[in-house]
Amino acid sequence: MSLKLNDVTVSRGVGPVISNVTLEVTPGEVTTLVGPNGAGKTSLLESLSGVIGISSGSIELDGVDISKMSRRRRSHAGLAHVQQGRMIFPSLTVKENLQLTARTKADMDGALALFPELEKRLDSATVLLSGGEQQMVVLARAFASKPKYILLDEMSLGLAPVVFLRLIPVIEQIAKTGVGVLLVEQFAHLALKIASDALVITSGHVSYHGAADALLTNPELLKKAYLG
Amino acid sequence: MWLNNVVAGLTPGATYAIVGVLLTLMSQLTRVVNFAQVAVGMFGGYISLTLVTKMHLPIFVGVIVGVLVAAILSALLGWIIATWLSEASTSARSAVTVAGLLFLISLAFILFGYRNQPFPTIVAGPLFTLPGGAVVSKVTVVVIVLAIVITVGSWAFLKFTAFGVKLRAVSDRQMAAELLGLNVKMLNVSVWFVTGAIAGITVALVGPSASNDYVTLSSIVIPGAAAALVGAFKRMDLALIGGLAIGAIQGLFAGFPNLLIVRDWVPIIFIILFLLWNQRKEVWDVAR
Repeated sequence: MSLKLNDVTVSRGVGPVISNVTLEVTPGEVTTLVGPNGAGKTSLLESLSGVIGISSGSIELDGVDISKMSRRRRSHAGLAHVQQGRMIFPSLTVKENLQLTARTKADMDGALALFPELEKRLDSATVLLSGGEQQMVVLARAFASKPKYILLDEMSLGLAPVVFLRLIPVIEQIAKTGVGVLLVEQFAHLALKIASDALVITSGHVSYHGAADALLTNPELLKKAYLG
Repeated sequence: MWLNNVVAGLTPGATYAIVGVLLTLMSQLTRVVNFAQVAVGMFGGYISLTLVTKMHLPIFVGVIVGVLVAAILSALLGWIIATWLSEASTSARSAVTVAGLLFLISLAFILFGYRNQPFPTIVAGPLFTLPGGAVVSKVTVVVIVLAIVITVGSWAFLKFTAFGVKLRAVSDRQMAAELLGLNVKMLNVSVWFVTGAIAGITVALVGPSASNDYVTLSSIVIPGAAAALVGAFKRMDLALIGGLAIGAIQGLFAGFPNLLIVRDWVPIIFIILFLLWNQRKEVWDVAR
């Protein structure tokens, strides 16, 4: 049981942005993917959820090849992708955003339990919320879909570090419910703290794959991996 | 006299309002300015006419089949756009509807011939007379009521139903909606189907009392677009008011023989005024 990328290459425009990457996300654990800007982190997540196609290799979700599946079918198979930026639906209220994925009241309650502060804002238009609150809505909405795996792309983008700190324990909490989390994050030290596994990606290649602790406790190793 | 003319203008005005509301819905929900909006209704109308006059089917059967044909043609056009142009720009998607408009007009000439034929009448006769002596026909009232029902109904549907919320989500961010597992294509095509059916119903109602040649009927999309522009292709309530206003002004001009020629310019004047109003800030910014 895992989300696997097997020897995947992704091409975009002039050439490959991801070359022969293999990784595995296991349920109940956080895998952190770090790397410099333009390394191919976002492309990698987009290939997993089907936003862009892969040129070669395969993607498996719990043993099923999902490489050729539509985005919608991947979502139904248990994959949730929280894209970069604040992907709220601005014309919808907080409640309506959550209702898009929450099939039952329990799903809705579960999502709101992650961020109790949203309960007071249920009828507010999401466009009126602060950046941090909007990310809470996006994360709660993804969780309400009861995914097996969540892909989180730079949730901290445009947020103050103190606001992002509010999201970190929730990501940990989500993983504890048995969801596999693949976390792409610019605040590497924060992301590595909650991860068991880590990958550093540079210029489309994996330059480090191993325990997150090792990177956290050995800044030289992280620096070396970043520089390829 | 002038009141009679204004009242007479309300039937086409309500038609423009309906088309304006449909164009607003399409623009908001499917990112398309649908130039074939009325053409599908026109084609459905001629299917009804053929079924009633040549196959001698009852009017209501002919109208139902015609409305269904309009809905299916519209859905087909929507399906083509959703399949091959899902991530294309609004301009590219709208261009496809121009092709649809021209195709339907050409097909109508081929299938139904070059001679105009009157549509079977569904609603006819006067309903009441206003104090000034202006006669209000049944079709005027029915089309105005239909325009209001479509406007309010669409707003309520989008606001209060789960399906409507999904449509709004798709309209906000199509990719994000798809990643949440929403069936974006089905949602889009359903909007095309419903708006096509409404266009079919509208043509069936007003066709008998208007010029119903293929081009004139299909061209109702122009004053419809002017009505939609009043609401900036965003507000259905303003599109409704805009459509009625354009029709009323056209009716008013019809009462002055010297101004008769201006009558057909009214929608274009509305469009030009809107574009000038819309660009006012651009000019100011450049001037600064």
